[in-house]
Amino acid sequence: MRKRKSYIGFIAPGFCLYTLFMIVPLFVAVYYSFFSWSGMGEKVFIGLGNFRRIFLDPRMASIFRNALGNNFSYMLVALFVFIPLQILLAYLIHIKIVGGRAFKLFIFLPYVISPSIIGFFSLLVFNPNIGLLNATLQSVHLSQFAGSWFGDVGKAFPLLVGIIGWQGIGVGMVIILANMTDIPGEVIEASVIDGAGLWKRFWFVELPFLKPSIVNVIVLSSIFALTQFDIPFIVGGLNGGINGRLDFLNLVFFRYTFGDSYNGETAMGFGASISVVLFLIIFVIAMAQNLVMKRFVEKDGNP
Amino acid sequence: MIKKKQGIAGWAATVILALYCLIAVILIGNMILSSFKTKTDLIYNTFGFPKLFVFDSYAKVVIDDGFLRNFLNSVILTFVSVASLLFFSAMTAYGIARYEFRAKKFLEMYFLVGLMFPIQIAILPLFVIMRGLHLTNTFLGMVILYTANLSFSLFIFSRFFRQLPSALHESAVIDGASEFRIFAQIMMPISKPVIFTVGLISFVQIWNDFYLPLVFLTKRALHTLPLAIYQYLANFLAYWNYVFAAATLALVPIIVVFFLFSEQIIAGLAAGSVKE
Repeated sequence: MRKRKSYIGFIAPGFCLYTLFMIVPLFVAVYYSFFSWSGMGEKVFIGLGNFRRIFLDPRMASIFRNALGNNFSYMLVALFVFIPLQILLAYLIHIKIVGGRAFKLFIFLPYVISPSIIGFFSLLVFNPNIGLLNATLQSVHLSQFAGSWFGDVGKAFPLLVGIIGWQGIGVGMVIILANMTDIPGEVIEASVIDGAGLWKRFWFVELPFLKPSIVNVIVLSSIFALTQFDIPFIVGGLNGGINGRLDFLNLVFFRYTFGDSYNGETAMGFGASISVVLFLIIFVIAMAQNLVMKRFVEKDGNP
Repeated sequence: MIKKKQGIAGWAATVILALYCLIAVILIGNMILSSFKTKTDLIYNTFGFPKLFVFDSYAKVVIDDGFLRNFLNSVILTFVSVASLLFFSAMTAYGIARYEFRAKKFLEMYFLVGLMFPIQIAILPLFVIMRGLHLTNTFLGMVILYTANLSFSLFIFSRFFRQLPSALHESAVIDGASEFRIFAQIMMPISKPVIFTVGLISFVQIWNDFYLPLVFLTKRALHTLPLAIYQYLANFLAYWNYVFAAATLALVPIIVVFFLFSEQIIAGLAAGSVKE
């Protein structure tokens, strides 16, 4: 590779597009967040007023806490249920259980389905009147278990988490699976000769090799959890479902920023402050995870 | 079939996973079958085979509701955006990966920021910028946004370009080819497999994208398939027999692409998500 100025010509167009439409907006959001602004007309500087409203206004603070709580609950499920499941699924496919190749395809399949169609499926299955689930329960004389599903305060959130998980679980699985395939054969052979069973082989030999992909899946899942929008919006509606059980930060943001006939309020300055808070949360969590992981990886002496 | 022995636990896993995979098969299969039912058939026989295969729902959706328009919108927007994204991200990645210069390390990091902060975080200023440029409710605006969101493609491309032997470039220089010609006529042809993989993944993502069209394409005539289906869902009980046909039309192309090229899609997605 030589030093030549022509790299500028290759990089400039992509750099400009990316900077103007991806990076600049991140900073402009911070600027807007200090203003009271409906999106049209005058911006009025109000300092930290928007942030004060998010955290201190009793009505707003409870909406915000509820939504953020849902984001975090989903994140905990992703980290402590979905990721172990993804590792397990990848491992089962990796050791070539019967049907593994087909399972890989069909577990991944929902990922390529548009969120609106996922929303349609969830209506089909969980609609209290015409849904598959209640119909099936009735036909096997278990109608006492039939319910209103997304209309049920206790069930709406777990159901939603299940649907989002169903759609996305394949991605982490294939990332981890690709990493498993990279484990050098000799390492595994040596452990087999040493008499390690499947479980021991997995825990002591393969898992340490999987750190890079697992770290990545953790980061990707956390960001995904904090920016949930599509499926909650389609299934639960803009107002966050029954009792706000399906509300997420991005929905709150969308409601206030772009407004709608129900709220009758378009508050772009306030919306910007919500997205700034979201930005900061993602930033802090990503940094924290990076630090923790680095320490983890270094301590075990395994790059 | 001769297979190495699989214990009880293995068979239990096989059975559980088979049942789990059935969920997707049943949902998709039922949707396709139901799209051929009449409304009464659908009400009394929601989850069975159609008594009679009719195309009423398709006729209604395509002819009366202008679903063809939504379909074409999706096709045009997806293809133009994927082509534009491939061109710009490959070119940028090439410039970063194949040349040595001072800001190289910085640029590599800079372009990764887009992976960390999804476009939703900055959607509001983006909306103001787009409105200022009169790009809301235009396909041009959408193509620009999908192209600007290039971190993922760029990442896969630069990984590929970095591992190409530099001799390739040098022999072309001796032949007197210009830098851009080397890129277009030598590098692009040997990158075909990567271009194909990145293209497939972007195709799936843009075809299915819900959020950006929701914000930027508010005019009904510009709605893409995911938005059109969402509109049907909003009036679900009145039109639910049509949703089957609409959703089938939207889903079948992507399912076909997925089953034809699942290896490339899965491998590409996995490769693009693991940073060294």
